[in-house]
This record gives sequence, C-alpha cells and structure tokens, in this order.
Amino acid sequence: MRILKLKKADLYRFLEVIYKEADIWAPQKKGDKFVFDRVDDFSKIELQTTRTIIPPKKIMVPPMFNMFDFNEAGYKEDFSHISKKILFGIHPCDIHGLLTLDKLFIQEYPDPYYMGAREKTLILGLSCWPDEHCFCKSTRTNIIEEGYDLFFTDLDEFFLVWIGSSQGDDLVKLAPDKFDENLSDKDIQAYIRWQNDKEKAFKTEIDFVTMPDLMELKYKAPFWQEAGDACLACGSCSMVCPTCNCYNVADKTFLGGKPGKRIRTWDSCTLPEYSEVAGGENFREDKSDRLKLWYTHKLQAYVSKYGKPSCVGCGRCIATCPVGINVKTIARALEGEEVDAFWKKMSREVTK
Amino acid sequence: MPDNKLKIGIYELTGCAGDALLIIDCEEELVNIFKAANIEAFLMAKSDNNDEVELDVALVEGSVSTEKELEELRKIRKRSKALIAIGICAGLGGMQSYFLDDKDWAKNLKAVYGGVEMIHAKALPSKPIGDFVKVDYFLPGCPIGKEQFLSTFARLLAGNPPELFRFPVCVECKWHENDCLLNKNILCLGPLTAAGCGSVCVNHNLPCVGCWGPSEEANRTAEYKLLLEKGYDPALIKNKMANFSGTSITQFFARLKGETK
Amino acid sequence: MNAEHKSLERKNPFTPEPARIVRTYPLTDDVKFFQVRLVDMDKALLFKYRPGQFAMISVLGTGEAPFCISSTPSRPGLLEFCIRKAGTVTGALFKLKENSLIGLRGPYGNGFPVDDMKNKDIIIVLGGLVVAPLRSVLLYCLDNRDQFGKVSVLYGAKRPAEMIFREEYFSLKERGDLECHLTVDQDDTGTWKENIGVVTTLFPRLKKVDPDATYSLVCGPPVMYKFVIKELLKLNIPKNQILMTLERRMKCGVGKCGHCAIDYIYTCLDGPVFTYWDVLHMRELI
Repeated sequence: MRILKLKKADLYRFLEVIYKEADIWAPQKKGDKFVFDRVDDFSKIELQTTRTIIPPKKIMVPPMFNMFDFNEAGYKEDFSHISKKILFGIHPCDIHGLLTLDKLFIQEYPDPYYMGAREKTLILGLSCWPDEHCFCKSTRTNIIEEGYDLFFTDLDEFFLVWIGSSQGDDLVKLAPDKFDENLSDKDIQAYIRWQNDKEKAFKTEIDFVTMPDLMELKYKAPFWQEAGDACLACGSCSMVCPTCNCYNVADKTFLGGKPGKRIRTWDSCTLPEYSEVAGGENFREDKSDRLKLWYTHKLQAYVSKYGKPSCVGCGRCIATCPVGINVKTIARALEGEEVDAFWKKMSREVTK
Repeated sequence: MPDNKLKIGIYELTGCAGDALLIIDCEEELVNIFKAANIEAFLMAKSDNNDEVELDVALVEGSVSTEKELEELRKIRKRSKALIAIGICAGLGGMQSYFLDDKDWAKNLKAVYGGVEMIHAKALPSKPIGDFVKVDYFLPGCPIGKEQFLSTFARLLAGNPPELFRFPVCVECKWHENDCLLNKNILCLGPLTAAGCGSVCVNHNLPCVGCWGPSEEANRTAEYKLLLEKGYDPALIKNKMANFSGTSITQFFARLKGETK
Repeated sequence: MNAEHKSLERKNPFTPEPARIVRTYPLTDDVKFFQVRLVDMDKALLFKYRPGQFAMISVLGTGEAPFCISSTPSRPGLLEFCIRKAGTVTGALFKLKENSLIGLRGPYGNGFPVDDMKNKDIIIVLGGLVVAPLRSVLLYCLDNRDQFGKVSVLYGAKRPAEMIFREEYFSLKERGDLECHLTVDQDDTGTWKENIGVVTTLFPRLKKVDPDATYSLVCGPPVMYKFVIKELLKLNIPKNQILMTLERRMKCGVGKCGHCAIDYIYTCLDGPVFTYWDVLHMRELI
C-alpha cells in the first residue's frame, strides 16, 4: 500500500481540486457537537472532531426516504438519494461501521438503496484522538486496513496519506504535486510516536471476548429488568449506532391524484411496535426483552456469525442515552460490576 | 353518475378551534379535500351544513364540557361509520380537563360563575370524547399537524386506517440529527411525547413541550426521576407533563402520590 | 471500493411484481382464500418455491405484508393464500374483488426440507385458523405420493365452521393412502360426526409410528404447540424432525429490516420453518 505525505496547508488545496469531481461531505459544527454535512465552505470543515451525532450511515440510507413512487401502473423505484459524494473526515470506527453494514446489506439479497449510495461514495478517512467515551481499541476498530479510498493520519505538521483503492489513487493523481512520496525517518518516527501515544490515550476499555458467553449466562439477570424500567424507549441508541440497520416501511398516499410513496424510515428494536404482528400480538412487549435483543445483536449475534462484535466502539450510545443505558454500562452489569448510571440509581430508588 | 365520494363531517366541541383552523390552513390542498370528499358539515368553512346526513367519517375537535355537547357528540357518533378525535382536547381532554377531581371542579365552577343558573347549557367536568362514545382513531397534536392530517385524509379516502408514528419525538429528533437537550439538562418532554411533528421545536433548539400528547409507551416514571435528579422542581415537572396530557396523566399522578406517602 | 460492491445494474429485491387476484372467496368468517397469478406469464410459470415459503403482498396505497403460500409448487402457475383478517393490509385485501391487481414478491424463507422428508413418514398436525403453510406441504406430499411413506393428518378446529378446507379434508378421509383424523373443540351444528375434543385427543388414533423415520409438521396457534409437542415427544420423534412455522413482523422479507430477528437469526431467511431443537436452543423462539 502506498503512503504519501501531504502538507497541512495543502489539504484544502487538494480538497478544492477534488471538489470538482463530487460534493464533499465532512464533519462540521452543530452547536457544540459535530455532524456530517455537505461542504460549502472549506473553513467550516472540522479536523479535530470527536464522533458526529449520527454516523455516516445516513448518507447511504437516509433516515427517511422514498423507495417507490406508485400508482395503478405499478411501483417505480426512486433512487434520488444516491449521488456521487466524497466523504471526508470519517474515523476508523465509522468506516468499520460501514463495513459491518455492508455484510448485512449485501448478504442474500443486495439492497440497491444502500449499495447504490455506497458505491457512489468515496471514503476519505481521517485519524482521530479518543475522548472519554471512545473504546474502539477494545473492539479493535481503532485501526483500519480496508474500506477507504484514502486515509489521512494527522501528525500536526502534515498528513500521512494511505491510498486504499484505485479510485483513491485517481484522486491523488488530480493533484500530484501536493503529495510527497519520500518519507524521512523523522516522519516515520513521528507516526510511530503518535500511534503509541494514541494507544495509551483510551480511558474506556471493555472486554468483548467474554461478552457472548455473558449474554447467554446472564440472560435472566435482574439488571435487565432494571434497565428496562428506566429505558425511555426513545430509540435514540439505534438512531446513533453506526451498525443499527433496522428500518420500517409505510405507504403514503396523497390527494389530487399524485402518486403514492413507499417510505422507508430508520427503526429501532427498542420501540414498542417493533415486534408486533398484525392482530396485535407483540413478541417483545417488555422493554427489557427489547433491550436484550439490542445487546444480543451488538455483543453476541454478530460474533457468532463473523467472529467480532457489531459494536465499533464509537461511544455514541454512551454520549446519547439520557438514562445511561449503553454498551459500557451493560457490559459492566454483565461482568457483575458496580454500574454508575442513572438506570441503576433509579432501580435502587424503586426498590428502596 | 352516482356520487360515491365519502361523506365527511368536521365538528368542534370545547377547544380553541385550532384543529379546524389547521384544516382550513391547508390552503392549496383544501381544493383537493373538497373535491375528493363531500364535506357535509364544517362550521368554520361553510354555511350550508347538513347535520342529519349519515357520515362515513366524522372528525371531532374539542372536549365535552356541556350537556348539550354531549348530546351533539352522541348524535354524531350515531350517524357516523368512523369517528376520529382530532387534537389533544378531543383525544385526551386538553388543559380544561386538568382539574379532574369532581369535588374540586364543582368548587371551581362556583368560584368562577357564582350561583349563576346556566340556561344555555349545563356545564360538565370537561372530558375527552372517548369517555362517552367509541373513538375509532385519534390524531394527536395541539393543534394537529398538516402533513399528518392530509396523509390520514388520503388514507381514509382509500379505505385505509391512519398510519401514525407510535414512537416518541426522540426518533424524529435523531432523524434531524439534533443533540439531545435532556443531556444538556434542559427539561425536554421528547421521550414522553408522540412523534409526528417532525421534532420541529428541537430542530429550532427549543425543548419539546409535549403538544402531541403522550406517546404509546411514555415512561413518565423514568423521565420524572431523571428530571428530579437534574435538579428540577417536582411541581414544575408535573405541570409540564400535565399540560397536554389531559386525563391521561391522572393515573401517574395518583401513583406518585402513593409513592411519596 | 471493495471488490464486493459490483455492478449497479442489479435487480431491486423490493420491487413488487404485478399480480392479479384470479379467485377469492371466504373460508370462514375471517379467513379468505386468494388465488393469485403474476401478470407476466413467464414469471408466473418460473415462480419456483418450496412448501412453507412465503411471499410479500402489496396492496396499492395500503402497504405490504408477508403471507405463507398455501398452494403447492407441484401445481405451477397459480399461487394460493389463506389469509386471516388481522391488520391493515389484510383488511384492504379482503375488500379486493377478483381481477384486482396487487403486488407480489418472493418466494422467501427456508420452507420445509421436502428433500430430507422423502421416503419418510409424515404426521401433519393442524390447529385452528393458521393452517396455510401446511396445506402447501400436504398437497405437495399428495402430488408426489410415491415419494413419501405413511402420511397422517390430524386437524383440530374450534367449531366445524372454523375448519378451513373442511371439504378437502373430508375427501382425504375417503382416500386409502393416508390417515386423516378431524376434531372440533365444540360442535355447535349438531351434525358433526367426527371426534370432539382438542387436537391431542387424536393422537391415540395414529397407527404404529416409526419415530426415527417420521417427520412431524405442526402449525397452529402458539398455545397448541406445547401440548402437541409433548405428544410427539412421547412418540419418540426426534426433536430435529419436529417442524413448525413461526410468524413474525416483517417489512422486507429479505433479511434487511430486522423486525423478524430472533436472537441472532432472521425468521425471513433462516425460517419461518424451525425444528423443535431450534426452539429449545434459541431463547426467544416460542
């Protein structure tokens, strides 16, 4: 794999060149958080970001989009969310998130809505620095070896740029003078130092090896009920999770002879109607049962199929759940440790 | 040609008429509404209202707060195949049903009106229409939403039941990639409130006040305790929760009372 | 990009194929029979499926829902469904008349392992109104009668009027090449000549069972499974030769939308046919 050097000051110049090829989407500020958005002004691109509120899955399958226009003549597919994009500033955990979604959306019957957008999106990854919620080291998604076209490691003075695909190579060739093939020993040392320092910077660690067994052994543990009692069933954990893929479909009709639309929206297994069948029977009426499904999928199910958890350690559930139900606190509860979270406090209050 | 268009009536009981107003506010779609169905009664929009005809669908706004309204509601129900409560007042009772204790209500009535004998209509404690007649569907909102109303109307015309979101505002709020206000210690009722509004308040950085009424599985206990922990005054939390919950909040308050005893 | 992401020109698995309702008539108060044909005749004839598989049916403007196919692939061209009125899509389907257009895609799911079942004895146990998937496999066995051993059918309904395809089962009793025992919980007609009692009361009527050479297929309301399985285990039928179909919420049918997930499997891909062993070692199956 070729690794090149790009001067910090040359990044925007490079982006300006490739901007002619496609819209660039990159992390930008929203309040005191970050979101992936279309870039209109390069100065608004944030290079030192933590997680965005919602992962880049929104670019492949938007939260709400139309699958088909329909009328008496039949169903006509609508791929209007798909356009050529360059996604810049995506962190290793989120690239792993997309690789995880790939497996699901490709298997058996490829989903053309996801795949179409995925194929038209170039992935320009960017290195990051862990905050208190990041635990990608534990999920081994802190390092990325595939799934990007270019990957930029930020070493303060300059970027090291990995070329991950032929299309990535094409982008570099649009501005060959900006990239330097010759890395000095000093450059390499800087990179090694950076990597070592980053390894040590993680504050949250979770032992995922034991999780599948613990999910099985602790399936009836009382803490599930406590978490269920506190769960607001707000679905936020799924919306922000880079590997949650569930969706709902509903037909919408309009007045005045306009064609109808088959609308696909993000869904969550923590919502009440998720497992309800026609006639009203609900296979997971209890919130704790729904949480168990969520965590079975993150900590156990994917492991049995692909040998790794479907959690990528981005920390979004930790940053998002208002009552503190997240991979970290559930893992601690599974390990039988003290949990410092609102859902646990609430249960103590209730039993008091 | 026989007219097989659906016959629809739109009625207003005690409320601010905001839901009827919203329907009128559908502007360019209003033509389509009147084209697609026979609007037999709609006091705010037309003067030739037929109050005897059998209806396919009756849309009723407002709560019942007089005996006359109760009588009218029963008549509407009798001649309608389907009855839809539109808005928080019809569906849950609205703010006017906040004081639910019949004893308090009698006291309040006396305090406000003194000994005046009501000739026009005898007052009743205000209650949601579902307390008196069968309600087939409920479109929440204070007022109801334009998009929700139009899509429901289109579904009804095709003979389909409305398809409403059954989850809380938070889901839509995340679709719009808003940062959670609760996590910033702001009193936001998103987790307790039915979605459908498009999380419009939070999109503008304002907390959800709950104007679409409680969502199907509103976990009031958890939200209440969470807000207590964030330092909010119990009375304030309860007031906020009650605003758009109508009579649906009574059970929760009764339980809270039991717990604090 | 990854080598896996290839051509953009691929079939959209979510596109409903236009299909026409050829025949429809009520089977009970809330179950209706639908005979459906894909409008494209080539596609209709090439629609290959296994008994126990399902299809997604769309009603224009109403929505889409999964339905078990109750016809047999041994009679190609027309698809049949026995549909119970339960929700929005079924409500709209019930209003459709013959010759109406609907959307259909499939077949999906694993279906019954009919190849493994060849030369084996088959015990089919049916209960109540949910019998569609077993009608498919029963007709399949009858159409290929020489490929299977003994075939026995036990069917229990609440009342005679709720026995779906009653006449079909009565005529089965006339055939010499299979056993068919019928029962109702209650006879409100006064003309019922068969057994009265729950379906398990039919088990003593089964002629000698060779358990290892027997596949038993069970379909009915959830409460029935427990009691029927108990009887089948008493007969020593191996747990992985007791088969059942399960119902779950589905929005896609192809392993994407997630709703039918049970533990780490998807009912739409790995089911809807499961063995009793699956049920025992998976936490949420029944």
